[in-house]
Amino acid sequence: MQLTPSVLQIDPEETKQKITRFIRDYVTKTKAKGVVLGMSGGIDSSTNAALTTLAIGGQKTHGLIMPEKETLNKTDISHAQQVARKFNIKTTSIDITNILNAFYKSIPAFERSNRKAKGNIKARIRMILLYYYANSKNLIVSASSDKSETMIGYYTKHGDIAADLAPQQDLYKTQIRQLATHIGIPQAIIRKPSTPALWPNQTAERELGIEYGKLDLILYGLENFMETEQIAKQLALPLKTVETVRKRWLGAEHKRRMPLTVKLAFRTVGKDFRLPYDAEE
Amino acid sequence: MTKQIKIALAQMSCKVGDKAHNIRKMATYITKASKQKADLIIFPELSVTGYLTRDRTYELAETIPGPSAQKIEALAKQNNIHVIYGMIERSTKANAIVHNSAVFASPKGLAGVYRKMYLPTHSVFEEKRYFRRGYESPVFDTPVGKIGMIICYDIFFPETARLLRLKGAELIACISASPAVRRGFFETLTTARAIENTAYLAYVNLVGIEDGLQFWGGSRLIAPNGRIVTQAKYDDEDIAYSTVDYTDLARIETFVPTLRDLHPELFTELKDLTEKL
Repeated sequence: MQLTPSVLQIDPEETKQKITRFIRDYVTKTKAKGVVLGMSGGIDSSTNAALTTLAIGGQKTHGLIMPEKETLNKTDISHAQQVARKFNIKTTSIDITNILNAFYKSIPAFERSNRKAKGNIKARIRMILLYYYANSKNLIVSASSDKSETMIGYYTKHGDIAADLAPQQDLYKTQIRQLATHIGIPQAIIRKPSTPALWPNQTAERELGIEYGKLDLILYGLENFMETEQIAKQLALPLKTVETVRKRWLGAEHKRRMPLTVKLAFRTVGKDFRLPYDAEE
Repeated sequence: MTKQIKIALAQMSCKVGDKAHNIRKMATYITKASKQKADLIIFPELSVTGYLTRDRTYELAETIPGPSAQKIEALAKQNNIHVIYGMIERSTKANAIVHNSAVFASPKGLAGVYRKMYLPTHSVFEEKRYFRRGYESPVFDTPVGKIGMIICYDIFFPETARLLRLKGAELIACISASPAVRRGFFETLTTARAIENTAYLAYVNLVGIEDGLQFWGGSRLIAPNGRIVTQAKYDDEDIAYSTVDYTDLARIETFVPTLRDLHPELFTELKDLTEKL
């Protein structure tokens, strides 16, 4: 197998059909009134919001725009609003700054300098708000996670990944870009650098130390059982770069699974307790 | 000898674990097909229970004869139609011995059962975790033709269909629960099995979404020369009708005489090599 960008080429229309069918089916089976999702103005959430609207309509898609003072970016907010207008999505804006400050103040010896611990609170507060809306309005929460982030654990556990469904989680970032272009997400959103916005000036590619085009090909190679030496050679990358990605890929499994427990009984959750997901009684 | 039959390919979605719902839906299709004067209606793999039943497989299993099989036999009788469908069959010997079975019901009662031989246990499939494989490839000589059955992944192994053909099958019914990412494989293999055996092949696939897996439908009747005689919709529920003209076989057998040209010694070598894999 040759690791060229063509291996990540998708049929965007077919992919759109599959994802929208999946969302529609899930909403119907759960008898929910619709979907609630966070809209950051980034490519992932914009694409997810648009796909959800294409699946169930704008009136059933509720977007929450949840900025906070420290990482406030007016362009991002305006991008989220632009997508909402274009796809006719209902939105609610909630400034989470006060909630965050209340959190920071309530934690004894809060470590302001630990930006990871602090940043994750932001993602988890957004999750709480999404679930508040889900519970109060009988909606289901949709995560906008992509496969690149999911594979290397580049997200907040129980934060942005916490949801009832994650429609585009099997698409790498570069594939999301293809899909986003196909469904009409503005190019300004597709082209701008991705950021989890957990702290100021954080950008994904700078933090990861690799651009998504390369990262996705490494992950694709790992997914296809290729050896790191082979991947590095084909992509003309230092072996260390590929091995670092592989380490993250292996190490993130705890974020992708149910909490680990000890096997004590006959059938155990996360191990050999296996029921159909959507059985209806 | 039966010369022609009208066949109905009923690709339905299932509610996982809800046998009453699924059989009601089958009944609707059976009635519809009967009104269209179909002689045989075929449903997808595990149509009585849905495909991804996981640990509920055991509680959903039934013996044949059993309540579900009897209900469908009654429907076959009332509507004067033959029915091929899929269900989880429980052995009469032990509770935890279950088979992924294709059942053939006729207006006169049970015509026969085929138990899936090749149980996929890779990727998203976990059939060997639950099912015991079958060991027999029966061909049923019925008023609607000489018919053999295979189930989904069986089609990747040409010997399953070949065995049925060598036992005289003129129509091979392949019931299936194939997810969308595998569509290309099945579209090729269904045609190949028909051509290489100079037999009709009726492929009926599930639709709907179970546990995030999307089944692609696309059920089809393929003539012995590989022509797609009829094809149902992709992805949505549908019923497709067509005529199976058994008199085609003699003509096509002379054009591509694959059965005449079989080399039996190759099968011995295949057996030896397979044992040493």
